Amino acid sequence: MEELRTTSESIQFIVTQMGDEQYGIDIKYVDNIVRMQRTTRVPKVAPYIRGVINLRGEVIPIMNLRKKMELPEVEDTNSTRIIIVKLEQQGLVGLIVDEVKEVVTLDVDRIEKVSYDKDEKNMFLMGVGKNGDALISLLDLNAVVSE
Amino acid sequence: MDVSQYLEIFLDETREHLQNLNTEILNLEQNPENMDTVNEIFRAAHSLKGMAGTMGFKRMQNLTHDMENVFSEVRNGAISIKPNMVDILFQCLDALEEYTANIQETADEGTNENEGLIKLLQDCLKTGGNSAPEVVVAKAEAEAPAEEAVKSSSNWDNIKLNGSEKTVLAKAIRQGKNVYGFTVRVQETCILKAARAFLVFKAVEEQGEILISNPSAQDIEDERFDLEFSVIVITEKAMSDVSKAILNVSEIASAEGKQFALDELQDGAVEVAEEKAVEQETAGTAVVAASQEVAKTTEKKATAGKPVVNRTVRVDIEKLDVLMNLVSELIIAKNSLVSASSQGSENNITFNEQIEYLESVTTNLHESVMKVRMVPIESVVNKFPRMIRDLSKKLNKKMELYMSGEETELDRTVVDEIGDPLMHLLRNSADHGLESAEVRKERGKPEVGSIFLDAYQDGNNVVIEVKDDGNGIDVEAVKRKAIERGTITAEQGENMSDKEIIDLLFLPSFSTAKQVSDVSGRGVGLDVVKSKIEALSGEVEVKSKLGVGSTWTIRLPLTLAIIQSLMVVVGGEKYAISLGSVTTIEDIDPKDIKLVQSKEVIHLRGNVIPLIRLDKVLDTVSTRKEDENLIVAIVKKGDKFAGLVIDELMGQQEIVIKSLGKFMKQSKIISGATILGDGEVALILDANALI
Repeated sequence: MEELRTTSESIQFIVTQMGDEQYGIDIKYVDNIVRMQRTTRVPKVAPYIRGVINLRGEVIPIMNLRKKMELPEVEDTNSTRIIIVKLEQQGLVGLIVDEVKEVVTLDVDRIEKVSYDKDEKNMFLMGVGKNGDALISLLDLNAVVSE
Repeated sequence: MDVSQYLEIFLDETREHLQNLNTEILNLEQNPENMDTVNEIFRAAHSLKGMAGTMGFKRMQNLTHDMENVFSEVRNGAISIKPNMVDILFQCLDALEEYTANIQETADEGTNENEGLIKLLQDCLKTGGNSAPEVVVAKAEAEAPAEEAVKSSSNWDNIKLNGSEKTVLAKAIRQGKNVYGFTVRVQETCILKAARAFLVFKAVEEQGEILISNPSAQDIEDERFDLEFSVIVITEKAMSDVSKAILNVSEIASAEGKQFALDELQDGAVEVAEEKAVEQETAGTAVVAASQEVAKTTEKKATAGKPVVNRTVRVDIEKLDVLMNLVSELIIAKNSLVSASSQGSENNITFNEQIEYLESVTTNLHESVMKVRMVPIESVVNKFPRMIRDLSKKLNKKMELYMSGEETELDRTVVDEIGDPLMHLLRNSADHGLESAEVRKERGKPEVGSIFLDAYQDGNNVVIEVKDDGNGIDVEAVKRKAIERGTITAEQGENMSDKEIIDLLFLPSFSTAKQVSDVSGRGVGLDVVKSKIEALSGEVEVKSKLGVGSTWTIRLPLTLAIIQSLMVVVGGEKYAISLGSVTTIEDIDPKDIKLVQSKEVIHLRGNVIPLIRLDKVLDTVSTRKEDENLIVAIVKKGDKFAGLVIDELMGQQEIVIKSLGKFMKQSKIISGATILGDGEVALILDANALI
């Protein structure tokens, strides 16, 4: 019984590539995935905000995920995507990622919590998931999007 | 019966009636003789009672019932309005408001019986007639004969007939027709009174012609009557036939009738107002003041007539929002058509015609939707005279509120929010602003303090001013207090301008009131005012002169959705500036730029105008060369000007304002964004924040 219940609990993640690492975003937050498009710069805002885009008549702020997570910046490519996430407090926000790879389903018990060490990057993680051999860093969106 | 679905309507209407009562009772305090006012109050109290009863709010019903009784007696002239009665009535309104608030929160009226109030009301009824001052007695006596002549058991002869109606009746009687007055009473259990009344009308019309009814046919149709209504009928049939026809309608309790005689009409016994005046004269020595009062009332009656009921349709604001969004999309579609047409190489005339047509449609649609959302600020400011009256008593200061521009319209959402800030400012003026009567006398000011509330439209803004002729802001006192509290250091205080010090008042928990009263002085207020108004994209400003008074100016945007804008380019990026704030566009030679305190200014038609380099403000680089002429958009905020230096002008465009969302903490100069015809997002600059 006990085993049955735990195996049935799983979360779906959208797996994205940034540099060498794979990052997972909980699919329940994802509203949309769009190609990179023309953004309008907004002066006098936090440096990790790329600007705003027009998504079917809505103006949506776009965040440079690499900059926010202090990864080295790269040029936009053909595979660069904007993942539009919807959060309760902030509404719709776009996250720029290098590439969107796949959707994976991870059992909750296969997700390992990460401890907060000195590595600042871990601030944005809610855990690490194992997908076959690969490790996926699972993003804590509320931490990513907050100040 | 489950009435919960009507709760919202009930609350809305109750508030309307309460507001009405507040206004009219204030009126009554000024002109205790005005019968129109008394009637209006009676009607409102009566409707309230009926509504509360239907909804099952017994306590509310009881209280309104007793209020209604008092007014009924006032209306009959048995008792007259005295100041202490007005106070009691206001207390009743407060109690009713409390019930309403309870109902809104819990769908229950609460348990407060307000027995004390009800007792006071009943005392009014008992003692009202006896203890009336002499003048009133004289008047009552004077009126008594008229009462006898006019008042019989029924109310049909209260119908006021004008000259032509009288002639018609007289003519009908001469032609041998019968004229009857009927008072019809419906049963108390009747639910659809209006429908029953309609059937009665129909039945009577089969017998003859209805000349006039009391209340009017429209009021009866809207169910604005008690259990009784009256008609005057011209018919060839006998009275029993008509009353039989009326009684045939079910749920009718009784129908009393009386035949009109010719001489009755000619004597004009029905014209109550005239009657009063005549009777006053025949009373001979009757107090002159009283008769003057009556004359005044009569005059007023003639001019004011029946108060026009503001007929409104309640529209769910969400539905309006949907409509608004549709219009927004239509405008976006139009804009893309415009940009498509300018790109096309061949000049297709019909295509352009279509666009022009679409443009006129969207503009009209926009305007009409905007108008639906606009409501006069009257609904908010109406409660202030009452508030000032109460404050005047509470603070023991004499003051008078003068309002103007109540008809100024604002977006519904703004109107809903503006009440509290205005109330704070008025209280502030009443408590801190105005001096006590003694001090005012010493200073050679009129004993009664004045507070002004003026609203008017100024371009794309609505300005609301709260002004008083009180003491003004004591800058030194504010400075001392600020230093005392550690808000600023003594050094800082030395270097601050008066205006900067006055602005300290808007900081949270800052109050200079020497005494804490429940009116103001707790230090919450001005900061709330400021944040609330800024949340509405508005601004608040103070001007004050010690000993003369202060003026608080609130500036609010007229609309929050679609504006006319000037599109400009700065550093290759497109920006929109609200056209309402742009006065002119100037071509300026760089040689004409002067430096004042190391800031760039230009001289323009006698004004020195500071220049704002938008490329610097927006962290970008101008595409223009140093020695090229500058394009400067002159913007205005109140009486201040500034010149915005831009790279290129694109033209005028109607834009839909979109919020940038809560995610970004953008600078104040960016008030939003809009989507251009080609799908690009352009930011909207707030010229007010730049100045």
